[in-house]
Amino acid sequence: MESLANVALGFEAALQPVNLLACFVGVFIGTLVGVLPGIGPVSAMSLLLPITLTGSPATGIIMMAGIYYGSMYGGSTTSILVNIPGEAASVVTCLDGHQMAKQGRAGPALGIAALGSFVAGTFALVALMLVAPTLAGWAVAFGPADYFSLMVLALTVLTFLTQGSMPKALLMAGVGAVLGLIGLDSITAQPRLTFDRLELYDGIGLVPVVMGLFGIAEILHNLERPLARDIVQARLTQLWPGRADWKASAGPMARGTLLGFFLGILPGGGAVIASFASYALEKRLSPHPERFGRGAIEGVAGPEAANNAAAGGAFIPLMTLGIPPNVVMALLLGAFVIHGLQPGPLLMTQNPALFWAIIVSMYLGNIMLLVLNLPLVGLWAQLLRVPYNVLFPLIVLLSIVGVYCSSNNVFDVYVMIGFGILGYLMRKTGYEPAPLVLAFVLGPLLENNLRKALILSQGDLSTFVSRPISAVCLAFAALLLIAPLLPSLRRKRDAVALDESA
Amino acid sequence: MAAPRVPAAPRGGADVWAGLFWLAVSLGVVWAGRDLGIGEVAAPGSGFLLFWAGLMMSGFSLAILWTAVTAGGPGLAALWAGARWQKVVLTVASLAAYAALLDRLGFLLATIPLMLVLLRGIDPVRWRIALPVAALSTVGLWWVLKRLLLIQLPAGAFGIG
Amino acid sequence: MLGWTKLAQYILAVAMTSIAAPAGAQDYPVKPITLIVPWPAGGATDISMRAIAEVAGKHIGQPIVVDNKAGGGGTVGPATMAATAKPDGYTIAQIPITVFRLPLMQKTTWDAQKDFTYIVHLTGYTFGVTSNADSPHKSWADVVTYAKQNPGKVTYATPGAGTSLHIGMEQIAARAGIKLTHVPFKGGAETNAAVLGGHTTLQADSSGWKPLVEAGKLRLLMIWTAQRSKNYPDTPTLQELGYPLVLDSPFGVAGPKGMDPKIVAKLHDAFKKAIDDPAVQDTLAKYDMVVNYKSTEEYRKHVGETIEAERKIITDLGLARTN
Repeated sequence: MESLANVALGFEAALQPVNLLACFVGVFIGTLVGVLPGIGPVSAMSLLLPITLTGSPATGIIMMAGIYYGSMYGGSTTSILVNIPGEAASVVTCLDGHQMAKQGRAGPALGIAALGSFVAGTFALVALMLVAPTLAGWAVAFGPADYFSLMVLALTVLTFLTQGSMPKALLMAGVGAVLGLIGLDSITAQPRLTFDRLELYDGIGLVPVVMGLFGIAEILHNLERPLARDIVQARLTQLWPGRADWKASAGPMARGTLLGFFLGILPGGGAVIASFASYALEKRLSPHPERFGRGAIEGVAGPEAANNAAAGGAFIPLMTLGIPPNVVMALLLGAFVIHGLQPGPLLMTQNPALFWAIIVSMYLGNIMLLVLNLPLVGLWAQLLRVPYNVLFPLIVLLSIVGVYCSSNNVFDVYVMIGFGILGYLMRKTGYEPAPLVLAFVLGPLLENNLRKALILSQGDLSTFVSRPISAVCLAFAALLLIAPLLPSLRRKRDAVALDESA
Repeated sequence: MAAPRVPAAPRGGADVWAGLFWLAVSLGVVWAGRDLGIGEVAAPGSGFLLFWAGLMMSGFSLAILWTAVTAGGPGLAALWAGARWQKVVLTVASLAAYAALLDRLGFLLATIPLMLVLLRGIDPVRWRIALPVAALSTVGLWWVLKRLLLIQLPAGAFGIG
Repeated sequence: MLGWTKLAQYILAVAMTSIAAPAGAQDYPVKPITLIVPWPAGGATDISMRAIAEVAGKHIGQPIVVDNKAGGGGTVGPATMAATAKPDGYTIAQIPITVFRLPLMQKTTWDAQKDFTYIVHLTGYTFGVTSNADSPHKSWADVVTYAKQNPGKVTYATPGAGTSLHIGMEQIAARAGIKLTHVPFKGGAETNAAVLGGHTTLQADSSGWKPLVEAGKLRLLMIWTAQRSKNYPDTPTLQELGYPLVLDSPFGVAGPKGMDPKIVAKLHDAFKKAIDDPAVQDTLAKYDMVVNYKSTEEYRKHVGETIEAERKIITDLGLARTN
């Protein structure tokens, strides 16, 4: 078989000492930027791009790719430990991961997150090898109308994220979408809702919003009571996921992986939607949905797997069509081109050795990441033994640095403080931040695609139901909205509501 | 997400105020959407989505207000009963002061004092612990960013950092 | 984890670097420079600018980091820069022709002549119109015939309203006597996906379609340069198709208004060296882009001329702003 010979070639190249080293350096830096919230792979990769250009193309690209998927591993650490999500996709991990940490189960949460990442990352690679060319069409099958409907579906998922009042959750989604639209209109370059503040022309950054609403709000909330040390329980009941945890996580991981892989292929917002959707799915399937939001391990395993599988899926449009689905992939594309290679339909046939070397190095990188991250689980979990009055200033420091680095602008630090106060008041009055964040990310995509879809259909609204993908998405959304009203399903929600008011 | 000690319900009185606030915001969004131009269905304008999103938000706000008014309950002040709001205000104020001074003083000179305020001002940590924690965490993070990740933090007017 | 002695060394190192005096124009640059590319990552502009920035960074002694701020046909990035960035040379932007053109069409937040410090003019594009290889539109004549029978049904994806692609297609449609429907995207990666997925009939964009055309997934219907491209000898130019137009939208880089001339000179020299670099020219050639160097002074003059030329075209097309 020709492809087998190519895989062998790939192994040969990937196992060269210099490439192994590049892979390790990449995943190490990736873990570092992943753990530091706000400092995403993009800034690290753009700054290190020049360094990677000194070696052979394979070496450079192996290292860049390592930074990318390495950062996906560490992304959940601060979400679980201190409720600071470093990126939109880790917001969901906060919901149950941090609750687990509060109950002294930070170890199992971090362990499941790392292993879930490994399983999903490995599966995504196998899938990438086997089906990449076949799935190329899927990446471009979504037109503006389909995207719009997908976003509607994703926002409907909100109904499963919320624990309290539905109108409040929907209102927060509206607020999030509007906040996302602040800045210059992506179609006409008109300033919108900027109140003539120049800093707002660029829009509000995601990082200060999530860090304010989650990290800072959590701190303000905790400070309000005399600091009983049980805010994060010092006793660590167990360091590793137990048998029961494994059993509970296997299904969510598998489903999360599939969901993440397919959504990750779609350009724009795939990883975020995948992690939120996986959470909603698990909550929906669980016989005890009331446990979600209170430290359910399924709520960590599913989204984390989805998040990492999406990172793998994102390679498909880049490698097969030369279309980068997100900024990180675009940076990789840049690295390819500057090395004199053109990702696209011809890459796999013209440069099979390079293609497979990258894939093989990603297998190795995933194993390195597991080895690198598992010992860290214990270390991170120990961190929670630090008394809260010493820990919280450190959390503040981490948030400030993350926010500043994401934009190099002090204005964003103000934004974070503002959203910290808002998040604190929202908690007080019973509004949840997760719907706001989801809508904040999806709102601009929804708007842009809605407008393009309407221009394309010349104002004909039937385009949203006549296109199959769009129709399926809308049908699911309708089903999700109607489901809670049906009597048999209603009991579950009532149980949640009862529990909430108890 | 509601922490165990905060009563989840009823909070009708507080909900009325929150609901009114969001209603005002929603109406503002509707107005801004109209102002920017709704356009037509075949060529939606800049304010198209804002207008409709604002209308929906107004609807949700009204629903919240209606539930709150019919349910009744304690007002806003009850939410802060027994809370150490002074600590919250102190934290927010020190963060705001920090943001105002960050560019002028630079990262190191601004951050170490902030850390000391937070460590000593809320639930005082002994100086013997507070000082090394403040200094080492700040300098350590600064070093990792500057040297390992090549990310520049503000150096300030004195060029320290 | 770091040992104590190591940490002590670092603290010492901190103290050492802190003695260094604050930086001025003489020491520029002392930190990485941000280059705003107002297109989504992955298009022809993005990749060519990354190649140029990479080499220019080497010459200037600090990395030049590309920041993609897409939207508004490539104006959101420069407009944001003009409004918010300090003229310290650490934030510069690629200036697409839309920055000159959009103010003629609608109310904008910037004045192209006053709000920028023009640094150096670099290169220009090769524009082309593609259709999906599976579509029945095998030549431009097919499109015209179809559009005459179905007015408005032919849709075309461009990188944004007011881009040369949008204006060019409208000029062509006016001359051909057909009506096309314009769909503004944010840049090459998105327009590629749009025509590849069959969401729009056509794509009008700079040469980011190249790998897909070469792989036979897209069909190049025409090219907007004066001569045929060496890479696509069978593709007719606009002039050959009977439209007396040549469109290439040359571009350069600029910073916010009021930059120190010494800093401008340093940036100019670094970018000049970059576009003279054979490796950069190779990358540019991949996208059929050719170096079009203009010095700081020439570039400034060129901006005024371009605006006047654009004013005439926009007015002829009836797209000029009314207020």
